[in-house]
Amino acid sequence: MTEEELRTAIARQFGRSLHIRTLDTGSCAVCEQEIRLLAAPHYDLHRLGFFFTPAPRHADLLLVTGPMIRAFEVAARKTYDAMPGPKVVVAVGACALGGVYPADPFTHGTVDAVLPVDVWIPGCPPSPLALLHGLGVAVGRLAEKVRDLPFTAEDDLERVRGAR
Amino acid sequence: MTLWFVRGLRRGVVTTRYPARPDESARFLPAPPAFRPGALTLAVAGRLAETCPSGALHVVQEEDGGVLVFDVGRCTACGRCAAEAPQAVTSSGAFELAATDRSVLIKRITLRGEEQ
Repeated sequence: MTEEELRTAIARQFGRSLHIRTLDTGSCAVCEQEIRLLAAPHYDLHRLGFFFTPAPRHADLLLVTGPMIRAFEVAARKTYDAMPGPKVVVAVGACALGGVYPADPFTHGTVDAVLPVDVWIPGCPPSPLALLHGLGVAVGRLAEKVRDLPFTAEDDLERVRGAR
Repeated sequence: MTLWFVRGLRRGVVTTRYPARPDESARFLPAPPAFRPGALTLAVAGRLAETCPSGALHVVQEEDGGVLVFDVGRCTACGRCAAEAPQAVTSSGAFELAATDRSVLIKRITLRGEEQ
């Protein structure tokens, strides 16, 4: 299967209504608060065909928050295994991406350590807009933007020298 | 409802592009920093790397000069680097940061050489 065929197949599989299961692996609950806001009228996730489901067996997409505490590892693996394929794992927030807790006897520090992550959404917490964009990227509907961002600002040397 | 039904029959499409218009609230969101390479000397970059509480910034010495390695995924947009060196750090304003590859989130910013 070529890359193009694969992309079309993914778009066909995930282009319709899609069910999301959220998984909290030890987050401070602010990521959950932002995820909850997705269903509020302002962002209205459901107009885009995304729905939250309470059961992993009904889910196409796993939205994982938190630094993956070791006590939750078995539950996380079971949740992932219970999902029917094809499935997508999205790591949400700086904790899940390794920014807040180091790997130690209590936490893995990143979601990657336990689950095969497909999309990473940075932010502490990521805003509902960032989450919407991440979900769009996960199902191949929106383009990834961060690849082309250099994170350098315009270099106004004269002004910089004047400020010193 | 009827309006959308008629519109759908006429145009064939009832959905809009996403986003229909840029969200005005986006500029109030905390965003990861952007760096001014012209003001980013080795000393300043070292201070920034020490300041960062989430370990998103690292200075790497290479043959052709120093590089500030910025892991956007680990950044919590706390703003401590911008407070530490306001002349070298500003807000990037970027918030749609989702990536399909973890390595895409790791940015390399070339440092300015020492004063000639």
